Amino acid sequence: MSIKRSRATYEADLAAQQSPYVVFGTALPPLDPEVRDDGSYVPVWKQEVRDERGRKRLHGAFTGGFSAGYFNTVGSKEGWTPSTFVSSRTNRRKDAPNAEQQRPEDFMDEEDLAELEESRKIQTNAAFAGPGSTEDAVSQASGLMGLFRIEGETMGAKLLKKMGWREGQGIGPKVRRSARLELQGSAAEKGDTFLFAPDNVPMISLTRKTDHRGLGYGGQSRLTSIGHSTRGGSAANSDDEDDEENMGGFGRPSFSLAMGRKKGKDTNKSGIGIGILNDTRSDDEDPYEIGPRISYNKVIGGDRKKKKASIATNPSLKTKPVFRSKKSVLGKVALGVRRCHDGRLPLDGFVFGKEADSLTSEVNSQGKYPPPRIPPDWKSSKIPKSQTDSKEYVSTADAAKASTLNPKARAALLGEKELPGKSVFDFMSAAARERLVAATGKADLPAARGEIPAGYALTEAERLRELHKQVPMLGKDAAIAALSRGAGGGAPYADDEDKRARYRAYLEYQAGFKPALPPKPAQTSTEDWLREINEFFNCARIFKPMTGLMASRFTTSSSALNSTTSTRGEPGERDLVTKPPPKREDPAEEAARLGMFGSMTRTVAEFHPTRLLCKRFNVKPPANVQTEENTGRARTSAPTAPFDADEEGSSAVPRDLLALEFGVSSSASDGSTKDMNSLGGNMSPAVQTAEKPSIDSSKNEALEAMRAGDDVFKAIFGDSDDDDE
Amino acid sequence: MSKDSRFPQKPVAQLLGSNGPIHAVSYSASPGTYILTGSADRSIRLYNPSPSSSTNTTTTTTTSSITTPNNNHRQSPPANSSKPTLRTAGGDRAVFLWDVVTAQTTRRFGATANGHSGRVNCVAFGGADDSLVISGGLDTTVRVWDARASGGGGSKPIQVLGEAKDAVTALAVSGAEIVAASVDGRVRSYDVRTGRAVTDVFPASVTSLCLARDAKTVLVGSLDSKIRLMDRANGACLRTYTHDEWRNAELRVQSVLGGRERFVVAGDEMTSSSASAVGGDIGAEGDNNNEGRVWAWDLLTGRLVARLAVPWGVMRDGRRRVVVGRDGKEKERKNVVSCLAWKEGGSGNQFCVGGTSGVVTVFGEG
Repeated sequence: MSIKRSRATYEADLAAQQSPYVVFGTALPPLDPEVRDDGSYVPVWKQEVRDERGRKRLHGAFTGGFSAGYFNTVGSKEGWTPSTFVSSRTNRRKDAPNAEQQRPEDFMDEEDLAELEESRKIQTNAAFAGPGSTEDAVSQASGLMGLFRIEGETMGAKLLKKMGWREGQGIGPKVRRSARLELQGSAAEKGDTFLFAPDNVPMISLTRKTDHRGLGYGGQSRLTSIGHSTRGGSAANSDDEDDEENMGGFGRPSFSLAMGRKKGKDTNKSGIGIGILNDTRSDDEDPYEIGPRISYNKVIGGDRKKKKASIATNPSLKTKPVFRSKKSVLGKVALGVRRCHDGRLPLDGFVFGKEADSLTSEVNSQGKYPPPRIPPDWKSSKIPKSQTDSKEYVSTADAAKASTLNPKARAALLGEKELPGKSVFDFMSAAARERLVAATGKADLPAARGEIPAGYALTEAERLRELHKQVPMLGKDAAIAALSRGAGGGAPYADDEDKRARYRAYLEYQAGFKPALPPKPAQTSTEDWLREINEFFNCARIFKPMTGLMASRFTTSSSALNSTTSTRGEPGERDLVTKPPPKREDPAEEAARLGMFGSMTRTVAEFHPTRLLCKRFNVKPPANVQTEENTGRARTSAPTAPFDADEEGSSAVPRDLLALEFGVSSSASDGSTKDMNSLGGNMSPAVQTAEKPSIDSSKNEALEAMRAGDDVFKAIFGDSDDDDE
Repeated sequence: MSKDSRFPQKPVAQLLGSNGPIHAVSYSASPGTYILTGSADRSIRLYNPSPSSSTNTTTTTTTSSITTPNNNHRQSPPANSSKPTLRTAGGDRAVFLWDVVTAQTTRRFGATANGHSGRVNCVAFGGADDSLVISGGLDTTVRVWDARASGGGGSKPIQVLGEAKDAVTALAVSGAEIVAASVDGRVRSYDVRTGRAVTDVFPASVTSLCLARDAKTVLVGSLDSKIRLMDRANGACLRTYTHDEWRNAELRVQSVLGGRERFVVAGDEMTSSSASAVGGDIGAEGDNNNEGRVWAWDLLTGRLVARLAVPWGVMRDGRRRVVVGRDGKEKERKNVVSCLAWKEGGSGNQFCVGGTSGVVTVFGEG
């Protein structure tokens, strides 16, 4: 195409070609002809393997081959790095308390971990103890029942085994009988009896009727009623044929022996509904068999023989082909060898009943043997409950809800005695109730009566004592001080004469001038009264006159404050009173706040400039530093003379202690103390306290080697007035 | 009015170049030719404020710009008269000794285990021959360093004065006395000669100290909006300088004695609401909001002598610096005049002020 199209026409063309149905917006670009996106089959060699970040991971052999991890390393930028080498000579790995246990997961990559996660399934650890069963019942467990049925031994089985029970045995005392060795003839002839464990009794499993067919309907079974009846009556049945009939046939199927093996066979029997050519899974059944099947053992003995667990006491005998004489079998049948479900033979004179066959039912239908007639006036002693239950069921909770009785009414119904107690509200004060109403938002609370329990009722005197206990106790001194201050004018509550009088009374009581507090005014409440007393207490604590310096300093300031503030008393103090007692302030800070700069705000302390500092400032070290220097020099220069006079000042007390402790001759110590006294007994206490025998690390030993002159010692020790010459 | 006229209230020069607030200004030692500024942009600048041309606003000579690793400069005057050295203190817990000519640090004090454990607020030279460097910092200590000791002197202070209960904000040295002011409202005078430490209590945190020449009085600025002239002998307050509209309750605002100790000059932290409303009466035009102000009182009478407006600095391109906050709006800026210095230790005829505007304004006569 030689003509160059404009971009707009090109795009229009493109849109028309690729997406003719796009009305709004921009059509997606046409598919890349290189890429097949139609989901068609792409051969393996054309597929590209990309990792989760879209990177190609498999290359041709010449372009790097397989690449994995972080730029063809394993996992990290550094690749695989061995763990730090630890010599096992001193540091045994296995002895380490938290020795690293390497798990398989440590060597897995993400995919492996994902697979591992997938392979995990929820399952029960051990089977649950559901309906107990022994091992032969386990085979029945399947599906969900496996969840509830224990696999293996139940606790009961374990217990039984401990008591000597073995599998296959029955439970109960041992039975003396002759050994059944299956070779009936020989064993019976011997007549020897042994103690055997009782035969196992199979569990009765009552088959539940789950279908909607009629009772006794055996539709799925073969049409063998005639043959069945004939066979049931005949003595030509083998043992297991007999059992089969018991299971699935007409012969009283109301209960069956719980042998799983037989149930499987039951289903095999095809009934009417199954076509002749339908494969019923069994090959040995001849579909074209007509008429009563004459079944016979195709194999002599062995497998086809009925497995009688109760009999097979010796398992080794089972496998052997055993000849069974027809005679004995017949004899068994003749004896009615069917046993009751507990493994015993029916009682003497009784035979196992069979459900009436069609013949007898036919007889019954003719009314030959009608059932006994119920007497007309007979009435059952059982009263059917259906009348009472016919009403709609109401649960107890619903019934309780529907009840309109309150506890008192119920108590009355039940005849309970009314409780002597009262409601909480009876003891509540009105104010407390108001608070409760405000908190709960319920206005219909019972009225507060403010009663006092009988045991707690106070006499007037007790109440007064109780009240006085809550009065804060001011110290006697403080009370007197506050009183005296109040007498000097400037007492609080200058604007309220009554209050002032009360305050004075309180103070007098606290000071011990009066035996009792002034009585509470009748119109004020107890709370107000106590509040006022507390206010007095705080006020008295604050208004006590200051001592010494502070007093002299503050006489004017308080009056100034009085004058500058308003007319009603001293609001400043009042504010203080209402506040919690303020923490004691530094008087210096207080003075500074009031502008009382001077001696009040000034404190002088010792300061120990280091020698180098003094040197750099080009000043002589102050006295306290010089002492330190001397002690240091004494320590360095005369260590052999511990009681040098130089050291007296610094370590007078420790030296005495030392003398006591070591028993240094008293003369030496006396002399030294005398020395000290003569040198100067009245060192300034400040200097003495300051002289801690501490070594200054910044001291230059070379500078201090020079011994200080005598005037220095004089300056320290010899400047007393009395010793001054 | 004669006094008023003598008070240097004409802005003669503006020293530009800083990219952040000025934290410290100082004149060089007598005759005070140069002005050193320590700025929040971690550099110290040396200016010659004398105008080289007739225009007196933007003519400055930046002789040297010294950049240090400090992130927050508190630089104090190079009181060293003989050698051109200065020392700086900064937020990196170290004190530096500089050689001005080469703009190199010659010594470093602290920044070791024995140094300040907090920001250094103030430094001072001291001792005979200025052989000591004294620094006070946020770690509540005053540390005395030996500038003369070779080698290990920088790692270990000669003495640590740890009496302060809160950060040490200002230092003054006179003779053998070290005066340290602290946030705990105390001014402690350590007399090395007598070995006594005198503590004076003030009702609020003390942020500024200025010793008089004779060291008998000290000017103490505290955060209760008052400047007090204290008698050092007995701790009495000789005079209190305050004004209804002058407030100093939050920031460190320096106050100095100046004009041969006739004036008390202080900056303004511009927190009072009326800061911009008033100001036209005494020398200040007040046209620009939040313009910085300098207050001056008469030392003896305590009367307000002057209230000067400190104009916003004009940048090289002629525009004001605009600080844009995080919300994108222009931040309201206040020119807090936090530091000032009087030429020749209070005896000259000039003083310079610096503040958050980043511009140092030199006021002179004429």
